[in-house]
Amino acid sequence: MRFSKAIIPIALCIILLSLAVPAQRRKGRTATTLKPIVVAPINLDALKGLITQQREHPLLINFWATYCDPCREEFPDLVKIDKDYRPRALEFVTISLDDVTDIKTSVPKFLGSMKATMPAYLLDVSDPEPAIDLVDPRWQGSLPATFLYNDKGEMVYKHIGRVKPEELRAEIDKVIKKVEK
Amino acid sequence: MKTRNLSILLALLFVVAGVVFAASARAEGEIPAPPAIGATIGDFTLPDVDNKEQSLKSLAGKNGTVLLFISVQCPVSNAYNERMEKLAQDFKAKGINVIGINSNVAEDAAAAKAHAAEHKLTFTILKDAGNKIADKLGATVTPEAYFIDASNKLVYHGRIDNARNAAEVQSQELRNAMDAVVAGKAVEKTEAKAFGCSIKRA
Repeated sequence: MRFSKAIIPIALCIILLSLAVPAQRRKGRTATTLKPIVVAPINLDALKGLITQQREHPLLINFWATYCDPCREEFPDLVKIDKDYRPRALEFVTISLDDVTDIKTSVPKFLGSMKATMPAYLLDVSDPEPAIDLVDPRWQGSLPATFLYNDKGEMVYKHIGRVKPEELRAEIDKVIKKVEK
Repeated sequence: MKTRNLSILLALLFVVAGVVFAASARAEGEIPAPPAIGATIGDFTLPDVDNKEQSLKSLAGKNGTVLLFISVQCPVSNAYNERMEKLAQDFKAKGINVIGINSNVAEDAAAAKAHAAEHKLTFTILKDAGNKIADKLGATVTPEAYFIDASNKLVYHGRIDNARNAAEVQSQELRNAMDAVVAGKAVEKTEAKAFGCSIKRA
């Protein structure tokens, strides 16, 4: 009798867990993470277009590289942010400053290991300085660097160095709330 | 008594956590700004990779000195090994000395020495433990160059050239600055943004 009483809550837990897991998978877009990661080259004109184009939603850009330790360290936080805010219409793209020869090797390999599903680019320029100046003349080009633009294309937040997730989330909340109103 | 000991232990943990947090916060971008072009760079001393103290004054060339922040592990810095050595060789006879500085906390003098031997870097490499000089000069990445003229004035700061890939080099800002000083001319482009791996600070 005692055994049968004890097994009821355990069975309930198992049933609830089995229901919860597929729900989480649906939210987490598991299907997309199984696709091979494609990293697209982005040149100066395309970068300019990305930043300045008219858009309906805020845009978050993270500049990174596989050789940059703090970039790799912050990536799990960025993947979580993408997962949490993409359903709320945040556009989030990453731009790698790795060598163009890494576009099909170490860059997608790292993104795959992080289960990153945001659109991924690699800066394809012979001289990075105009691109750095285009994004922010005061940015010295050190990585990682994260920039948030509102739906009008205005830069509303930037952070050079490893992101502080709570701070970044608070800034995203501000621009998303304005769009949602 | 046990409670008191526990309180002391907890207090110590808070202190240690505070120090760790301060160190990590320090590493996240609160790096001093680099000196302005034209500023005088004061003398300093650092040990070389053989642990022999060297001063900037003793290593300076008669026409100037290039300080190159370099790394053992950074692939961008390593892509420049041959170019850095070539600059050092080309300008030695012209009175400009190249000095490497390794400020990465994870790379000790022995690693820097082995790396120099492996990549045939013949210029002096200093070990900047505690990133004292990286802070003094506001250096953030490797490779990053500071060119000081004969009167210790900063005349160029930034990248070596425009491309990590040697085959794509179109503008050689550091070499141009060194050529200008040797020719007794003013440096045309005094700054160009350096790109590479972040210097891992203590």
